[in-house]
Amino acid sequence: METTKLSETEFRKWVEDHSDLLFHYAVRRVADEELGKDLVQDTFLAAWRNRDSFRRESSVKNWLFLILRSKIIDHYRKLNSGAVVAGIRNENEDGTYFDHEDHWRKGMYPSSFSVDFRNEIEGREFFKVFDSCGKKLKQIQHAVFVMKYVDDLDSEEICKIMGLTSSNYWVLIHRAKVQLRACLEKNWITK
Amino acid sequence: MTHSKITCKKAVDLISKKEEGKLSAFQRFQLWRHLAECSLCRRFSAQNKLIVKAFGLQQAVSKLTEKQKEEIIDSVLGAKPEL
Repeated sequence: METTKLSETEFRKWVEDHSDLLFHYAVRRVADEELGKDLVQDTFLAAWRNRDSFRRESSVKNWLFLILRSKIIDHYRKLNSGAVVAGIRNENEDGTYFDHEDHWRKGMYPSSFSVDFRNEIEGREFFKVFDSCGKKLKQIQHAVFVMKYVDDLDSEEICKIMGLTSSNYWVLIHRAKVQLRACLEKNWITK
Repeated sequence: MTHSKITCKKAVDLISKKEEGKLSAFQRFQLWRHLAECSLCRRFSAQNKLIVKAFGLQQAVSKLTEKQKEEIIDSVLGAKPEL
């Protein structure tokens, strides 16, 4: 019994020491605090259940991140239902941005906006807008974006994880960017 | 006859692919030539870079409340052992 008690105290310390970092990592990747908390909880649950297999000499933090990472990938996999991919193929959103000659449609011209990231206040304001625009992306778009631009994964790896063909991947990432840009144009420059 | 002129739609597509270094020499030339004479696509390209940069930069730090941490501890320690 004594050993169990000790482990529980230890476990509490794991949560105290690492939960914020894990939570931040998860929220950044799934863009949803509720889901982020669930993933962190699942991570700790898996860690607790497998505590016997944890080797003392290795880092708790790395071990927890390894578990979280696989939980996030499981979540990503679930995002790609067949319906999503079919939707990508059928939509023809490009038609709204380009005219019949494939030039920018009038009224859809990219307008100029910029951000000075060195200006702290401007940067913070921008990220507020950027975050809310990011949340408007479909979950699968967001997932692909994070893998690409935060985790720096290669498009082949992303396709493998998500079960996407390379042409679906390009359409998806392209649409996400066009959409994000349109949202930023609307909400950032007019400020 | 080689056709090096491309449309804006094609240019936008190439701008996306360029990030991964997946352009052939000819495609790079096509894009370069298009951007030289199309200010709209130049603008798109600049914004594209901005978006990519912003996405990679560290954003607001998310933190759990003490209550949420307690919930995690309680739910894990109170969970029934796996069968």
